[in-house]
Amino acid sequence: MAAATEAAGHRSAWRVAGKGIPVKDAREKVTGSLKYAVDLEVQGMVHGKILRSPHAHARIISIDTTRAEALPGVLGVVTHHDTPQNVWENAWFNYRGKILDGIARFHGDDMAAVAAVSEDVAEAALELIDVEYEVLDAVFDPEAAMQPEAPQVREEGNLRDPYVVKWGDVTKGAEEADFIVETEIRFASQQMAPLGRNACIAEWNGDRVTLWTSSQTPSELRDGIHEAFGIPLSRVRVIALPSGSSFGNWWSANFMLITALLARKVRKPVKIELSNEECMATVKRRHIEISRGRMGCRNDGTLTLAEFDHIIDNGGYGFKDDVGFFCVDNWGRAEHGHYAIHGVNTNLLTAGCMRAVGDVTLGSVVERVADMCAIRLGMDPVEFRLKNQIKPGERLRMQHSRQYMKGSLEQYLEGIPEEDRQAWPKLFHLSSGSTDEILRKGAEAFDWSSKWKGWGVPYAVDGPRRRAVGVGTGAHVCGVEFEGNVSAVVRINPDGSAKVHCAVGRQGQGSETTQAQVAAEELGIPFDKVEIETGDTDSCPWSHGSLASNTMYRVGWATRAAASDAKRQLLDIAGREFFDSPRHELDVVDGVICSRDPNKRNIRITVEEALNHFRGTDALGQASSITGRPQGPMPPASTFARHFAAHFADVEVDIETGEIKLLDFLATQDSGTIMNPQVMKNQMIGGAICGAGFAIYEALSFDDDGRILNANLLDYKLLRAADFPLRGEVIYGDSYDPVGPFGARSAGEAPAAASGPAIAQAVYNAVGTWVDMPMTPENVVTALDTLH
Amino acid sequence: MIRMTVNGRTVDLDAKPHERLCDLLRRALGLYGVRVSCSEGECGSCTVIMDDEPVTSCLVLAMQAEGREIVTIEGLGNEDNLHPIQEAFIEEQGFQCAFCTPGFIMAAKAFLDENPDPTEAEAAMAMSGNICRCGAYPYIVQSVMNAAARLREGGSVSNTG
Repeated sequence: MAAATEAAGHRSAWRVAGKGIPVKDAREKVTGSLKYAVDLEVQGMVHGKILRSPHAHARIISIDTTRAEALPGVLGVVTHHDTPQNVWENAWFNYRGKILDGIARFHGDDMAAVAAVSEDVAEAALELIDVEYEVLDAVFDPEAAMQPEAPQVREEGNLRDPYVVKWGDVTKGAEEADFIVETEIRFASQQMAPLGRNACIAEWNGDRVTLWTSSQTPSELRDGIHEAFGIPLSRVRVIALPSGSSFGNWWSANFMLITALLARKVRKPVKIELSNEECMATVKRRHIEISRGRMGCRNDGTLTLAEFDHIIDNGGYGFKDDVGFFCVDNWGRAEHGHYAIHGVNTNLLTAGCMRAVGDVTLGSVVERVADMCAIRLGMDPVEFRLKNQIKPGERLRMQHSRQYMKGSLEQYLEGIPEEDRQAWPKLFHLSSGSTDEILRKGAEAFDWSSKWKGWGVPYAVDGPRRRAVGVGTGAHVCGVEFEGNVSAVVRINPDGSAKVHCAVGRQGQGSETTQAQVAAEELGIPFDKVEIETGDTDSCPWSHGSLASNTMYRVGWATRAAASDAKRQLLDIAGREFFDSPRHELDVVDGVICSRDPNKRNIRITVEEALNHFRGTDALGQASSITGRPQGPMPPASTFARHFAAHFADVEVDIETGEIKLLDFLATQDSGTIMNPQVMKNQMIGGAICGAGFAIYEALSFDDDGRILNANLLDYKLLRAADFPLRGEVIYGDSYDPVGPFGARSAGEAPAAASGPAIAQAVYNAVGTWVDMPMTPENVVTALDTLH
Repeated sequence: MIRMTVNGRTVDLDAKPHERLCDLLRRALGLYGVRVSCSEGECGSCTVIMDDEPVTSCLVLAMQAEGREIVTIEGLGNEDNLHPIQEAFIEEQGFQCAFCTPGFIMAAKAFLDENPDPTEAEAAMAMSGNICRCGAYPYIVQSVMNAAARLREGGSVSNTG
């Protein structure tokens, strides 16, 4: 911890890191000039529309496109007969399938597509495609889908191998407990409800293809095109544009691959633009999850046992086998336990990682069971969390790095020199941060001790209205290793400006700004001279993109490492050409190279002067710019790094109408150094509102045939400005991470995890019983009826 | 041919009989700040001001705009000459992805024209016709309050808004 304290002490000297600078694209955003994929056009482009399955599970027996192709204005139709039968995959198995294979696995699945001179003609042509389906038995319930006799959604079978983690001895954990509590919770599916919609334009030039689309994961979309079409990566270029709120919806999606397929067929640029209903009914949604958990506890409030069994439905094309393992780790002080996660396919819309995947579900169940222990003890929930949640340096319960497609941790480590690994944090132990500091600070700022009146006890009663407070906590990884390691490139230009290239996309969370801050701080070049490219796979090296809270931690590490490498090159040459000094005696401050040697204080060379000097000589060996990249891989973050949130909610429940009002809300967070507080507050409150929506409002509704009934913003209700407390103030922890850039960790998902449990607990304290999520008036009244 | 005033200029535009105002503004005038999301008047992303009233332009037929005066986000200010409301949204960081932001800013403009000195609760209620999926609500409300203060202090802008 001494090193961390020392490093944190440097914060006051930073010029860019930690500053609440407005986001780089702020002016574009408030003037409406920022372009999303729906706004883009390419010369000569035509329009595509997708034919969707009217059945949840069916096989095409025959498909006749003759009438559609004869419609004036139609340029071509693609079906599974035109489609390369290669499987493409999405990161963390969010999608696994062929572009078109003649089988419908959910209602609304992609079956064929038309390109035409206008959207209207393409739409009309869809009606003229004659399809004969063999309707197959479908399965919608995740538990039913796990049975061997269930209809099989996929050729690989419905059930993935469970992801299982065990520690200690659960029998002993049960024996050591003075009491054991258990519960089972079934959750509904939340929709990302992406306000921004999306579009994709694809254009082939010879055997090379370019895609323009709104995506958080440009590299991964490039990989998907490469897999699906069987063409070299060098022939695929993805230009990811900003997206609207994504929450995981806009990674790579099959409609983007269909756009490329159509464009290849008609040899023209094709644009497919999704309607709001298509965005909500045909791309992704949050998994439906069912969790059973139990915890053993001593009468002194020490947990002895934590056991969780969790089912996630992947819908038609998801292929995940785990979510939210870190939620159990947050309570991993229990010395005995295990958790098992079962991924299963159903004939519902594909499910994928929505913001705080697993946290708002499994995490809520872990928080719920822990609260049930605290209720038995009559212990304050803040105190119970302080006592039982993980602290820095302690053992994480996960035992395998989530490497997925690249084999075991041992194989991963093999290629990394021992001396590099010496500097790493201890693997499978928490490197820094916890809920400890933020729970204490938050409780004080929220005046918790005077508002908390005991379990199931409101602090105020006014007729049918009950007011009470609750606290909830959440933890999430700071990126996962997935298919490999991230990289970034930092270039110093001849005019002394710099450009960062890192493939994180732009989904609105400000990563273009925070990554540029990391680079500017490391380089010593003023922030307004540092620009960034986040979407072009021809210039950005491979990265997972903005997912799994990996952006600040893992990509930020790569950006800093690339900037450091560029600076090293600059100082090596400046030392030789101007200072006659080794580089460690030099630094760059506000774009000026200077020496720490008192005798050389008078030598001041701007980066611009330096690079132009080199331009005229052979000294640089590179004509006009410096290119930096990370030297070596970063340590596997999932084995030690987490970010934490603690939220405090004050609610009013009307026991006659069942209506819940949020009266006050305080978000606190431990993400290490806060690179940009202006960006961070929005991540925290935005996350809290996402989690609050899951807790009290949002649920997709499916009919008996697996069709979504509320795939529109009229029937799918979202919180609005007057529905959430106006306190914008947030509180940060002060930890400093040993690996993340300038001590920073990640930010975006723990806040979506903590708010639901905080609100659920407050509602419990108001009315004396737990209410199923989403805690709609109907569910509140039902819970109260059951109680009485 | 429809004649209307858009951002202070009179324009004659060809519109299809079923064309919506939002589509016409985007297609014919390149006003991409008019964002189209839900297409049913729920989200407010396509909000423009028509004869001093905020309207969701996805629910207005182009034909209905004949002879009307339309102001879009592009008419409020530009990157070199921001309107005080736009400055306030930057200062308070009242957005994340900003797909909804032009709609919120136009709704705020109409609201502050009517109520130049609102309470926070009034501002929150006025902003509740629009949806921000990123959940920047407390900061959007702060932006509106900040903008109200700027406008009361006589924030000067030369534009059609």
